[in-house]
Amino acid sequence: MKFLLATISQTVTPEGIIDRYPNSYNHFVLPFVIGITFILVYLFIGLVRIIYHLPSQDRLQLLKSLFIPKTAWKNLKDIFCDCLLHTKIWKRKPLLGYMHSAIAFGWFMLIVLGHLEVALFAPRHLSGLSEGSLYYPIFYRFFIWMNPEHETLRGSVFLFLMDFFLLYVLSGIALAMFKRVRSIALGMRHTTKPSLADRVALYCLWAIFPLRLLAEGFTADLSGGSFLTKPLNWLFRAFFGNELNFLPTWWAYSICLGLFFLAMPFSRYMHILTEPLLILMRNAGLRVRHPRKGFAEAEIYACSSCGLCLDACPMNAQKKNLRYSSVYFIRFLRRHNTRRVNEIANKCLMCGKCATICPVGVNSHAIRQVQRESLNNKLKFNYSYLSDLNSRKDSAKGKVLYFAGCMSHLTPKIIRSVENMLEASGIQYEMLDREGGICCGRPLMLAGKTGAAKSAVAANKKAIEESGCSILLLSCPICLKIFKEEYGLENIEVLHYTQFAERLVKEGRLKLSETEQSIVYHDPCELGRGCGIYDEPRNVLNGIGRLVKAPKERDESICCGLSLGSLTLDEKDRGKIAESCVGNLMAHNPDSIVTACPMCYKALRSKADVPVKDFAEIIVENIAENNN
Amino acid sequence: MKKNILVIGGGPAGLEAASNLRRLGHNVILIEKEKQLGGHLAKWDRLFPDGVSAKQTLDALKSKMVGVNCFMETQIQSLNVLDRSYNAILSNGITVLADAVLLASGFDLFKARKKEEYGYGIYEGVITNADLEEAFRLGRLPEKKPQAIGFVHCVGSRDEKAGNPACSKVCCATAVKQACEIKEVYPDADVYCFYMDLRMFGRHYEDLYLKAQKQYDIRFIRGRVSEVAETADGRLQVKAEDTLSSRPLRVTLDLLVLMAGMRPSEDGRKIGKELNLTTEEDGFFSSADNLLDIQKSKLPGVFYAGACTGPKTLPDTLHEARSAALEIDRYLTSDQRQ
Repeated sequence: MKFLLATISQTVTPEGIIDRYPNSYNHFVLPFVIGITFILVYLFIGLVRIIYHLPSQDRLQLLKSLFIPKTAWKNLKDIFCDCLLHTKIWKRKPLLGYMHSAIAFGWFMLIVLGHLEVALFAPRHLSGLSEGSLYYPIFYRFFIWMNPEHETLRGSVFLFLMDFFLLYVLSGIALAMFKRVRSIALGMRHTTKPSLADRVALYCLWAIFPLRLLAEGFTADLSGGSFLTKPLNWLFRAFFGNELNFLPTWWAYSICLGLFFLAMPFSRYMHILTEPLLILMRNAGLRVRHPRKGFAEAEIYACSSCGLCLDACPMNAQKKNLRYSSVYFIRFLRRHNTRRVNEIANKCLMCGKCATICPVGVNSHAIRQVQRESLNNKLKFNYSYLSDLNSRKDSAKGKVLYFAGCMSHLTPKIIRSVENMLEASGIQYEMLDREGGICCGRPLMLAGKTGAAKSAVAANKKAIEESGCSILLLSCPICLKIFKEEYGLENIEVLHYTQFAERLVKEGRLKLSETEQSIVYHDPCELGRGCGIYDEPRNVLNGIGRLVKAPKERDESICCGLSLGSLTLDEKDRGKIAESCVGNLMAHNPDSIVTACPMCYKALRSKADVPVKDFAEIIVENIAENNN
Repeated sequence: MKKNILVIGGGPAGLEAASNLRRLGHNVILIEKEKQLGGHLAKWDRLFPDGVSAKQTLDALKSKMVGVNCFMETQIQSLNVLDRSYNAILSNGITVLADAVLLASGFDLFKARKKEEYGYGIYEGVITNADLEEAFRLGRLPEKKPQAIGFVHCVGSRDEKAGNPACSKVCCATAVKQACEIKEVYPDADVYCFYMDLRMFGRHYEDLYLKAQKQYDIRFIRGRVSEVAETADGRLQVKAEDTLSSRPLRVTLDLLVLMAGMRPSEDGRKIGKELNLTTEEDGFFSSADNLLDIQKSKLPGVFYAGACTGPKTLPDTLHEARSAALEIDRYLTSDQRQ
């Protein structure tokens, strides 16, 4: 690298770039220097704090992950795509995506190109603090005089690029200002209320780039410029006559930068600096273990408070519940407001939609669960009696074992339909909980009663393994999630009935008759976002009728409102959520609604005007006559 | 000149009010959506607390209806407020210009299918209170003797999740009455009542309850039924909690009767919408005053009687019908209307 720089600097004529100030210093740089020093020190302390609070095995895991080529590559890719280009926002809201990438990527390029320019044309100033390497690349245009007679192609390319990216950023800033006035134009119905520090940082951010344009416009005749700054310079000279005005603009530019950095740690803009760390930690596979420290702290500071989760949250079917959204949960965690944190943590439906759409990928429902754990796991109950239940040795050897779960028992039609489906396909099966069984543990887990959940898991696991089954079949996505994540069943395939039905249809054991009816499929939270099962049910339903789309579906599906995740939401609010869920499903007037979760089935049935059918129910209704 | 009064609903409230208004000298038109008069009463077999025949009671009410114009299988197509009267277009094509309207649209039974965990419409052995009354009335009780029978109180009442936190008032007494009746038919069967608490508020109701315990050996279990499943041999397995002994409980039954509660009548609500009548949170119509003017609506000339303003027993309904008749008479003959 050094060699490369040396060869390049040789080709530049010494007279081409001349320092206008022999010691390359002017008082106006001070605000910026103070700001950048503060933020660098703050960042360092914050980083040490977060790493210190990680459990030691997590710390080791993080360190190791940095040296695994695959993870390292993913880190680079994610940081580039998520932090700079904001591809996640692009995909959902293009205009909003453009705005973010214009500011982030544009600014990043300005910094990189600015440093590159200094490295090429005045490398001395990158060599140490005494040479002003902290501020010189930022205010490069102020300090130099470029001999117009020695203008090189390379020099003009840089001048052009710098102007180009400045324009790019400015277009983003203009959109951001417009968004403050009319957020809906950029696809956001609700935005967050900014705090004081947010406002200071926001207005500084808005001012930084127009001021930079002005400042560089004033100096363009000395330092050189391109399509943006040059014409501006002519304009200024025509109006003001001389170039003495430019020092105040450079002061203003520096003050805004300094203020922005000073306000940053107390504002939402801390996400710019925290997100790369969060990406490293996430890619290393770390999990939230404490609701405020370590990984959670990285998530809390990485939250950009953008408020996309406000529109996503199903509780906002009623506007009064806006305050329970993730963005406020994170804000109160950041402020250590325990009362509000607990209130929100308990209210949440844990549907996970906010995490899916979060541009930064903050898994706030995982933090909520750990928060609940900190409250509820202290309750001690005796679950020793569980070990005596459910023992039926070898009862399902080599067969399918069907576990209906508590919620399916409240909707006997689902159990009956699943059994009919199995019988029609000639499947040998046993039912684990025909006469009642033990809870799968997921509701306890969601409530933060991890200890109790583990007792239930252990008892069920023993019974399932003793039964000798080869496939465990479930009709409830709530069960499915915990069976997949916590049970660790060896040599037993855990399947949801939508997956099993798809397999039966593919293998030709279950033949369905095609009808004219139009069907809309509702993705249950735990099945879709929870376990990633979107296509299997649709593939089967496509063979029964015409599947119509809902405006919000798959990972953007709206919770039915009956989620077991919420500990405090009342029936009326749940009803409103169900109504908004049904409203979304009915957008294209389907003949029936189909879902694959007992809770969704109950919730939708109470509000829909068209028949709501369980997935197995509609299968059983449409078994072809020539089936077996 | 005789005044026209339109009575909507031919249940006990409508019948009693219509006959009283007729005797006060008014011209009464009564419409009923069903083929026969009597509402839910016509579908019942015997009535608590003394077990008198529902048919005899209904006949007594009907016998006083001389001179009342009754239109059967007729519904309201539209109902408009005019200057001092109401213009109703009926589904049979007749237009009625009424000086006063009495809403006696009553109640619907809670749809037991909505509590799917109880298995109504899924398991053969699960029926409702109305189904059992019909079986008594038509003598169509199951021939195969049930060994164990259960009654579930408060199905769709006092149940926030089912959308109805209010008490339906009559189910406790009905359940105890039906429990005794079925024990008479199947003396060897075990009969259980699953209740939250028994609201035996009326005269002789408590006696009925004591008789059920002492004479009929009905077993009362305080606790809600959580779910019903089918056993391998097709019987019903009921899971409940016995809250007096703080224990979960499981019994196997052959017949389970769900005491479906009272919900506002859907057709009644439609008529209310025609007139922009307001309902309270429970869906029943809101009266001008819940103490002093239960029979009056907020519209002059529109009155209520019976269960359209909330669950009521039969005697309550008949009282209300008579007082509504008096109110209407006073409204039509006094200056109030001018």
